[in-house]
Amino acid sequence: MIKSSIVNAVLDEALKTGGDFSELYLQDSEVNSVRMIDGKVEDANYQRKVGAGVRVLKGTRSAYAYTADTSEAALIACAKAAASALKGTKEFEAKKICVDRIGRSWAKIPFSEIDNAKRIALMRAGTNAAKAYSDEITQVVANYMDCDHRTWIYNSEGVHAEDRRPRVRTAIQAVAMANGEAQTGICSPGYGMGFEMYGEKVNIEDVGREAAKTAVTMLHAPECPAGKVPVMIDGGFGGVILHEACVHGLEATSVGRGNSVFCGKLGQQIASPIVNAVDDGTLPGEWGSMHFDDEGNPAQCNRLIENGILKTYLVDILGSRLMNHPVTGSGRRQNYTFAPTSRMTNTFFAPGKDDEEEMLRTMGDGLFAAKMGGGSVNPLTGEFNFAVGEGYWVKDGKILCPVRGATLIGKGAEVLMKIDRIGKNMWMAPGMCGSLSGSIPTNVGQPRIRVSEIVVGGKGGAL
Amino acid sequence: MMTFEQFRDACFRLALEKGCENAEVYATSSDGFSVNVLNAEIIKYAIERDKGLNLRVLYEGKTGYAYTEVFEDPETLVAHAIDNAKAIENTDANPMQGACEYPEITVKPNPVVDLSEEEKIDLALAMERDTLAYDARVNRMGYCSVDTGVAETHISNTLGLNANSKERYSYAVLAPILRDGEEEHESYSFKFGPEMTNYDSLIRESIENALMQFHASAVDSGEYRILLRNDAAGDLLSGFSSMFFAEHVQKGLSLLSGKLGERIASPAITILDDPFEADNPRAFDAEGVPSVLTTVVENGVLKSYLYNLKTALKDGVASTSNAGRMGAGGAVTTAPSNFYIAKGEKSFDELKAALGNGLIITELSGLHAGLNPISGDFSLIAKGQLVENGGIVRSVDQITIAGNFLTMMQSIEATGADLRFGPPGAGRIGCPSLLISKLVVSGK
Repeated sequence: MIKSSIVNAVLDEALKTGGDFSELYLQDSEVNSVRMIDGKVEDANYQRKVGAGVRVLKGTRSAYAYTADTSEAALIACAKAAASALKGTKEFEAKKICVDRIGRSWAKIPFSEIDNAKRIALMRAGTNAAKAYSDEITQVVANYMDCDHRTWIYNSEGVHAEDRRPRVRTAIQAVAMANGEAQTGICSPGYGMGFEMYGEKVNIEDVGREAAKTAVTMLHAPECPAGKVPVMIDGGFGGVILHEACVHGLEATSVGRGNSVFCGKLGQQIASPIVNAVDDGTLPGEWGSMHFDDEGNPAQCNRLIENGILKTYLVDILGSRLMNHPVTGSGRRQNYTFAPTSRMTNTFFAPGKDDEEEMLRTMGDGLFAAKMGGGSVNPLTGEFNFAVGEGYWVKDGKILCPVRGATLIGKGAEVLMKIDRIGKNMWMAPGMCGSLSGSIPTNVGQPRIRVSEIVVGGKGGAL
Repeated sequence: MMTFEQFRDACFRLALEKGCENAEVYATSSDGFSVNVLNAEIIKYAIERDKGLNLRVLYEGKTGYAYTEVFEDPETLVAHAIDNAKAIENTDANPMQGACEYPEITVKPNPVVDLSEEEKIDLALAMERDTLAYDARVNRMGYCSVDTGVAETHISNTLGLNANSKERYSYAVLAPILRDGEEEHESYSFKFGPEMTNYDSLIRESIENALMQFHASAVDSGEYRILLRNDAAGDLLSGFSSMFFAEHVQKGLSLLSGKLGERIASPAITILDDPFEADNPRAFDAEGVPSVLTTVVENGVLKSYLYNLKTALKDGVASTSNAGRMGAGGAVTTAPSNFYIAKGEKSFDELKAALGNGLIITELSGLHAGLNPISGDFSLIAKGQLVENGGIVRSVDQITIAGNFLTMMQSIEATGADLRFGPPGAGRIGCPSLLISKLVVSGK
């Protein structure tokens, strides 16, 4: 994308005030999106985002400047701006580029070969399937997105890395209404693939039906009772519990500054002995995958927890300096307007040995969270929360009825120790994760698990 | 590369040549500075320069969008926009604003923006120093930053619209971490605008909010009377504000459909959308429509939805100047200006006395997940204090509060005199503290 002489000039300019590391990040991405409401296309958009960021490190201090102008003059000015944070004199030279890392797109059918007619046909099929599910479906909103995200990273240690990450996703939201009440269901599969996702991985009509099923089921569900009970959480997006309750607290962003309940816990038991957890950015074609991270380091498979023992944190370059811990291929950012920091990729509980039916049969009274919504966590205290999209009340080990409006809350360190069952079949689901370096695509995943007790928030009485 | 004006004019010319009826650009640029300090050192320093041009064309009655941050190749951008317009199946008319006059607005001067980088860095360092010195239990900073900048917006089109604004912003963020025994707590506080240089109140507020979290425990599950503090109430209102958008009402995505003229809230509730509010005034919205004040709810009765040009035309009313954008590159949508529940007469202490027995809720989290503006339902993790006979007994955490927004609005007994606004910009939400007769709490 850019001449090597310009790269060297920028990296060198950035080191002029005493920095010991400089980095140039360039981005060129194209996004197509279409929104369909009630079976009619409402908006169609194309966005091209191009820009560059220059980062300078000196020890654990960091300066970042970015610009939407990628001309040579603008890049030099950007390097000068970043360097102006330091007031010293030059101590290090930028090395000539000596490492080339090239990540090639996983897309078999690139989005440039797709026109709006193909995108719209898909959304129409998904919408129609949702509407056909039940007369109680009063509205369907479908959002289609495809993105070709290209990055170029160069640093003063002689590394050049390029990556090209296709992403494709459709979210279908169905609304069911009756008697002045409304309930919703959403299904939103996504992968790091090309348009071949439709067909290879995703049947759009199933997506529409799935969203409709949740909305209609919840419309006829009583309010979830409130209280502290056993909870069984199904696979897929259920893995948001690992994402929120634990792994945010393993990111260098919080651990590096001493602001996580998991500080100083490497080698210690932090979870029930049946728990194994992984963050794997290398899985081809997955939503959270990449070849190289946004600092140019190769993506890795990081075994976070083995038999309940904490094995590694998720660490970016700045974090590795703060923590004296090797980098883990976890440096990520939304785009050039953010400096990178430690983030997750595809994060999941590994398959366990427990029987899914036994889990239900022996749980007594509690909640089965079949579909989870989003959540959040305070890494300092580990206090997390997340919403249940589709829940069922369990009585005497049998599913009694669907329940609406449930939220799960707790403290990560406590809930990890209370996981008493992990099933055999693991699958993942995509989400967008927000943190210091913006909103990035991450997968969460797990097999069906059971937690011996957790606070369930709802507004219903006993069932 | 072309200049912005050359690129814009080329887009207009090409769009008209290719058969578009109208073309409009929504262009944004900003120049920002941000510094974050820890342990008397700069740990993050950022210079931020954004620019982008969002082209909207009207082609055979339909609108299409295309956005770019590189001002080259106008042909491709226009082709993308026309291609996207051809995809539209919704048959509603798509009006654009023509040439017009704008109301005079008075923007308070903000000298913080003009401070030198050194002075801004010194301000952040002083904030950290004074926070650490304020209370022995302040152990370290989770966050301490100063951000300033200038953001410009330009909207023009082939109908003669020409709207320009320049916003000078500044804000400080503080998050001290307090330690007492083995327990640690953190609380984020923000201060916007020129008052941020006078940061003592910011320090006091963040430390008081962190101290309130110590030695907390859950309460028994059940129904409670609730005093929702102004900042937490504002967060909740923010999550449900889209129920008032005509766009959502027309699409069957709001339970307020068909409720105009009906009582949807307690008589204590009046909701206004005021683009002229003194701390965050604007002359026009994201379509260049001149600002107007809108009464949304008056003494509990729903008076108006929030409209942009397209949704207003569909309902046969005038736009309420509530066009928004989903980001610089996004389509026209709806956004409040300064959207707030009008203040009442009671002080917070008077509301606490009126609460009698119940919970004060000071913080809600997980708002992006635990509330649903289509169903109106919410179930959110909360922190606060247990109140008995009008007096605070202890701090409370690890609970959820749950309800339905519309039911809750009917059960508001009183609003406080302590109206408080959230962060500025489009969609600035304000709320006083709210005394609510009943919500369900889940805890022990």
